[in-house]
Amino acid sequence: MALNPLTLRKLRRFRSIRSGYWSFLALMALIALTLGGELLVNNRPLVIRYEGQWFFPTYGANLPGTTFGYDYGYETDYRALRARFAAEREHGSGSGATRREARAARADNWLLMPPVPFNPNENAAYEGVFKPAPPSWLGGPPGHWLGTDTTGRDIFARLFYGFRTTILFALAFTALTYLIGIAVGCLMGYYGGVFDLIVQRAIEIWSNIPFLYIVIILFSVIPATFSIPMRIAMLLLIMVLFSWTSMTYYMRTATYREKARDYVAAAVVLGASPARVIFYHILPNTISTLVTFMPFTIASAITAVTALDFLGFGLPPPSPSIGELLKQGTQSLTTAPWIVGSAFGALVSILVLVTFIGEAVREAFDPKKFTTYQ
Amino acid sequence: MNRTSQTLALAASSLLLLLCGCGQKDDAAQTRADNGSATAGAANAAGGAGGLSGAAQAQAFYAEHPEFFHFKTVADIPADLRWEDGAGLPEVGSPNAKKGGTLNTWMQDFPRTLRTVGPDSNGSFRRWILDDVTLGYAHRHPNVTELREDGFYYLPALADRWALDRENRTVYIHLNPAARWNDGQPITTDDALFSFFFYRSPHIRAPWYNNFYGTKYAGITRFDAHTFALHFHELRPDIYSLALGLSPTPTHFYAEFGEDFTERYQWRVAPTTGPYTIARDSDIAKGRSITLTRVKDWWARDQKHFRYRFNADRIRISVIRDSAKAFEAFRKGDLDTYGLGLAEDWYDKLPDTAPEVAKGYIQKIKFYNDTPRPTYGLWMNQATPLLANRDIRLGVQHATNWQLVIDKFSRGDWSRMQTTADGYGDFTHPTLRARGYDIAAALAHFAAAGFTRRGPDGILVNDQGQRLSIQLTTGYEHFKDMLTILQEEAIKAGLDLRIEILDGTAAWKKAQEKKHEILFAAFNVGAEMFPRYWETYHSVNAYDAPFTADGQPNPARKPKPQTNNLLSIARPEIDAMIEAYDRSDDLGEMRRLAHRLEEALYDDASFSPGFVTPFIRSGAWRWLRIPEDGNVKIANSFEGSHLFWIEPELKKETLDARKSGKTFPPAIRVFEQYRKP
Repeated sequence: MALNPLTLRKLRRFRSIRSGYWSFLALMALIALTLGGELLVNNRPLVIRYEGQWFFPTYGANLPGTTFGYDYGYETDYRALRARFAAEREHGSGSGATRREARAARADNWLLMPPVPFNPNENAAYEGVFKPAPPSWLGGPPGHWLGTDTTGRDIFARLFYGFRTTILFALAFTALTYLIGIAVGCLMGYYGGVFDLIVQRAIEIWSNIPFLYIVIILFSVIPATFSIPMRIAMLLLIMVLFSWTSMTYYMRTATYREKARDYVAAAVVLGASPARVIFYHILPNTISTLVTFMPFTIASAITAVTALDFLGFGLPPPSPSIGELLKQGTQSLTTAPWIVGSAFGALVSILVLVTFIGEAVREAFDPKKFTTYQ
Repeated sequence: MNRTSQTLALAASSLLLLLCGCGQKDDAAQTRADNGSATAGAANAAGGAGGLSGAAQAQAFYAEHPEFFHFKTVADIPADLRWEDGAGLPEVGSPNAKKGGTLNTWMQDFPRTLRTVGPDSNGSFRRWILDDVTLGYAHRHPNVTELREDGFYYLPALADRWALDRENRTVYIHLNPAARWNDGQPITTDDALFSFFFYRSPHIRAPWYNNFYGTKYAGITRFDAHTFALHFHELRPDIYSLALGLSPTPTHFYAEFGEDFTERYQWRVAPTTGPYTIARDSDIAKGRSITLTRVKDWWARDQKHFRYRFNADRIRISVIRDSAKAFEAFRKGDLDTYGLGLAEDWYDKLPDTAPEVAKGYIQKIKFYNDTPRPTYGLWMNQATPLLANRDIRLGVQHATNWQLVIDKFSRGDWSRMQTTADGYGDFTHPTLRARGYDIAAALAHFAAAGFTRRGPDGILVNDQGQRLSIQLTTGYEHFKDMLTILQEEAIKAGLDLRIEILDGTAAWKKAQEKKHEILFAAFNVGAEMFPRYWETYHSVNAYDAPFTADGQPNPARKPKPQTNNLLSIARPEIDAMIEAYDRSDDLGEMRRLAHRLEEALYDDASFSPGFVTPFIRSGAWRWLRIPEDGNVKIANSFEGSHLFWIEPELKKETLDARKSGKTFPPAIRVFEQYRKP
């Protein structure tokens, strides 16, 4: 695909802004990592070699304990299994030749756990009870790099999956609000007149409904018969429903401006349909302003979903989320400062990355190219 | 009284259900509602001057209802009554108690009214001006909780003697002639009668009271200024509680009673029978704090049972919206006491090694009480397809790991609830034990219901491919973590519990409409004599038409909304037992029936008993002293029984010591005399 030389120049400019460019790469890498998150942060091993058979439990059905010689039918506790394999390797049982054979067979049993061998929902007791455990490097139990939360769930795992949900949520939110906002804004700007007048009034009324309260009210009455992904989708839908309006203002004015230009008049004279005028002529010329808003929309979506979680109206439990951790953290500020520390650190890092990207995009797409970025 | 109080809980939200102790004690207290400061003199009930005064309206009301209000003379009192006066009961409180000092404590919200009846009056502040401090005619002895033939043991309060006429279902009450409102007006029989006008009036906008006073009592008879009798429709073992738990209403104060009652009396301080009042306008700092002052020359201050109680001169209740902030204020010494009920608070935030505790500045007090327990557990709705099957319900019982919650979440502090009615003494079934977590048993029961194999996610599925997935609803956000523990454990037994955390009111509404599958909730219960079964387990509260003519379950029946039968349980044999139980006037028979009911409910398996918290835990600064035995047996909060006292010298000494670093022996006090093994 051949890119417009102007666009190429903008992209080159973006690359030349180091902080933004590296932030962009880092964020993309993070997203890519979390998409394959089950391979990195999980209580299911990547590979199991057991009595001559291979198992890859990560994405498949759950393997009951009976598969590995346990007497229970629920999912295998793989960390215990790993310990068992290790123990078996050290002390074989039986005697003489059989013992050697048994040992040989057992030595073949092994499994490979992901780097962080915890599931975001499993509770691990610390000192016999469910309470926050400090990070492993502060004397906590091994493996929990950021410690555990108030019911003994691994904070790193919860942040990791919380980030994935949040960022995907924010991206989907941005895409949807832009889709609606651009469409409505373009139509208003292009047709103008009575249509513009009516829609503009409707938007004014709509945007005066206090967003947060509506989300809280609506979300508290959504029946929980829906599955968790379904509930997240509904939350997304509600948030989009109350957020698309701000985009229309920019699109409307931009379209008004472009519509008055000669090239649009030329296109109309040549017989282009309104759809063609809008999509082929006007939109490409207005899109650069919109792109600069995008990172900030993402940042505000992340903040919004975190705030809702913090207030307890966001993602349904037990979904991991940054807001929920922040809330826990503020409630146990004196006893478990690592909870709020981790959640806060993660939130700030993500927002800083997104903001750096935003600044760089704004700078790169700025038509006045001799302004300096500060 | 007990039943109606639960109706109150029913009508209100689940918040009320748990946060406000509304049970018998509460009702008794609630029925003592009164109002405003002694203003506008005029008319007492006998005088009845002016057509608009409250007293005159009451007189008119009495005249309209001659079947309820009777006027006789002392000569009409039967001579052979066996009067009781509660003499010989052990005294409550410590003789070492000293009067004086200020107690600093906190509340989460500023009250929306100082009325104790009507809209917004049933908030958490009410106990400071009503439930914990005002006097009824006689009070249940808070330590001697055994039952006798006529109910509990009562100690005299406003009444100095009382008698029961079993044959005529009547309780005679003689008021102590010394009894005064805090404004100096004597408390008379007219104030007792006035209650029956006041609480039946539509102007108070409190339907629960209207109904309670209108239906529970058959009538009241005035004999003289200090003697009256209450009549009842039936003779129940708790007849004394219904009669003696009431309290009078200050006739002179409600001179301006009328349609605008709720607004007119919104911020007026009512005369009280008790030891605390709001003495000055400056004691109400709207939105910030309220300060109570001990009534000077309170008439009962030297009475047995009251002389060692209500010791603080002033009680200052500040508004602190965030509990974490309140905790910090307590640690600083701005608050004198703080509830340490949560394991996290008791073990982590204020451990025994915390400097204030180790140096002896703050005492940690754990008091095992013995009182009916809120019914925390899983309420399974039989009107839903899956849970209609008893095997599924049994499976759920075995798939919920309460023991893990108790061991790991509450750190072993809670104990397992065993029946639907724990803590009722003899009425609680002595041997019944709740079902334990047992994966094999759960799987066997689920298999019997057709759920035989595990799907790819480890959840059982039946032959039609239906997953064993049940929704677990709750309105208790603070128990969210606990429920996720149950959820994780249930997966091991092949059961998927989908947790739904709703706002308290929304969850209660859903349960009241019987739209829940499983509800995690608790009915709060007062210190009542015996458990109630009708509200929660009788079929008339389950369905519109539970049975067909021949006694079989009606296939077309619909769940009945707005009742407390959250299990949608409808079984004729249980109905029969409940009806016999509710009719009975024999405690022994009721006890036997209660035990049989528990067995039937155990067999039905739709309530999975959760946990009970058998103690009160609090932190208190060193200058706050408590009696040798800690608290009363039926206590439900540290300060509610008002047995503590404040030693100003100790306060000074402790504050100085904190500056200088001087230490005292640590005080971690555990009172186990009422602990159940």
